[in-house]
Amino acid sequence: MASSLNPLRCGGTSMPVPLLLMAKVVAVCLLLTNHVRLMPDPFLPFLTVFEGLPYLQIVLKTVFLVSAVLLLFNRWVRVNAFLLGATILVAVLSSRAYYGNNKTFTGLLLVFASVCDAGPRAWPIRVQMMIVYFGAGLNKLLDADWQSGQFFEHWASARIKNPVYLAISPMLPPLVAGKIMCWFTIVAELCMPAMFAIRHLALFGIWTNILFQSGLMIFTGTTFTMFFYAMNAAMLAFVPWPQSKVMVIWDGDCGFCAKSKEWVERFDLEQLIEWHPLQSGIGARFGISMDDLTTRLHLVADGRIYTGFRAFRYMAFTNPLTWLLIAVLISAAPENWPDWRRAVVICALFFFSPVFAPVGERLYDMVARNRHKLMPNSTCRI
Amino acid sequence: MDRLSAVRLLIAVPLLAAQAALIGYARFVPARYFCWAPFDMQTDYTLDVTIGGRRLSAEEIRKRYRRPKRGTDNRSIQNLIDIIQGYEEQYGRADHAEVVMKYRINGKEELEWHRP
Repeated sequence: MASSLNPLRCGGTSMPVPLLLMAKVVAVCLLLTNHVRLMPDPFLPFLTVFEGLPYLQIVLKTVFLVSAVLLLFNRWVRVNAFLLGATILVAVLSSRAYYGNNKTFTGLLLVFASVCDAGPRAWPIRVQMMIVYFGAGLNKLLDADWQSGQFFEHWASARIKNPVYLAISPMLPPLVAGKIMCWFTIVAELCMPAMFAIRHLALFGIWTNILFQSGLMIFTGTTFTMFFYAMNAAMLAFVPWPQSKVMVIWDGDCGFCAKSKEWVERFDLEQLIEWHPLQSGIGARFGISMDDLTTRLHLVADGRIYTGFRAFRYMAFTNPLTWLLIAVLISAAPENWPDWRRAVVICALFFFSPVFAPVGERLYDMVARNRHKLMPNSTCRI
Repeated sequence: MDRLSAVRLLIAVPLLAAQAALIGYARFVPARYFCWAPFDMQTDYTLDVTIGGRRLSAEEIRKRYRRPKRGTDNRSIQNLIDIIQGYEEQYGRADHAEVVMKYRINGKEELEWHRP
């Protein structure tokens, strides 16, 4: 499949879909938060080579914008992911005023995305996650204010004035609430490198990272410039992506199902899904009974079978539009809309978390049972 | 080894190794650059800068150091001290600026830093 100029598509380029999607999510957030305005001129650079370069700022801004746009439009994706990341890293090294952990991580992530492949070959991103959490955890572990809880006490009560913390903290002896939160953070940060290092714990690492970063965002309402976006987007490098077409078996004698299929097909820009009516008898090939097929939608991906809500969720998960939409909804929101950002994150977390799956299944079954009533004009397609 | 794997090694190994070294190095210096210590410290500070007997305005201070006169920094206070020291030594040597910074780390007692 040739690479498309459609920015909503991620297939057909030299980069694996999840890695390009990761880079695009970061690029979208960089553009929508108008990060280009922060590109600095040299100011007390870490490397003297940048001192006094008169056109550095305009070069950084130009390369930043051109590479981000070309990346979105699927042009020379590896080169442009590299250039976008390298631009941010040069900006970090050229100005102490611009320097920040979130920018450094974003730059490194894009540079590594440009040279990685999916799966085990994404090891630089895996090691990067381990280094970030190890460094953060170690620094906190050896800091007296983190050991005593003083950091969190001051941060949560005096700085961000979190209402939940302000309500709970006075019920406990002084600094106990702060100490609990500080040590919870230290333990979580020091466990994550191990989770990312051990392959069969990687899923726990992914979820811990997402819950940790989302929890921080929900608690504070801020994205810490690019940190929230980049740390979550990085997880796309580790998730298993379908290696071949996904097969969906649906009820071809149901008007509601036909409409739903049309709707999903419209957004399946990668044409990942192959639709087969259950009446074609294809279920037998996978040992699925006709009774099961008439009760729920079935999806077969890389030999695994998903049904009902889980099938629907899988389709949403493997559609790049989902992640680009979430990125837009959060990063395009004005700075003073923290509750909007919180709501989007909470909805996304619930939808994709295993905790919500039983609720999703019930809702799905309720709709599935009543599908002929929802749209009575049944359309027999076979 | 294919070309991409070679490029991956060439780019990733030095960048990752440098970070690992900087995490170790940060244990021996107060500035904590590039050691992944985000939001580990909350420093509330106020800057007063006098040049030739005249106190600089908040706007002048922001232009000079690219930091507000009064604010909160979420990194080591040494980062801000480095910016002030670096500016005065590299760009503002002729001004003989006198700088007083009052600051509190994580809400504890007020401290003061002077230059010169």
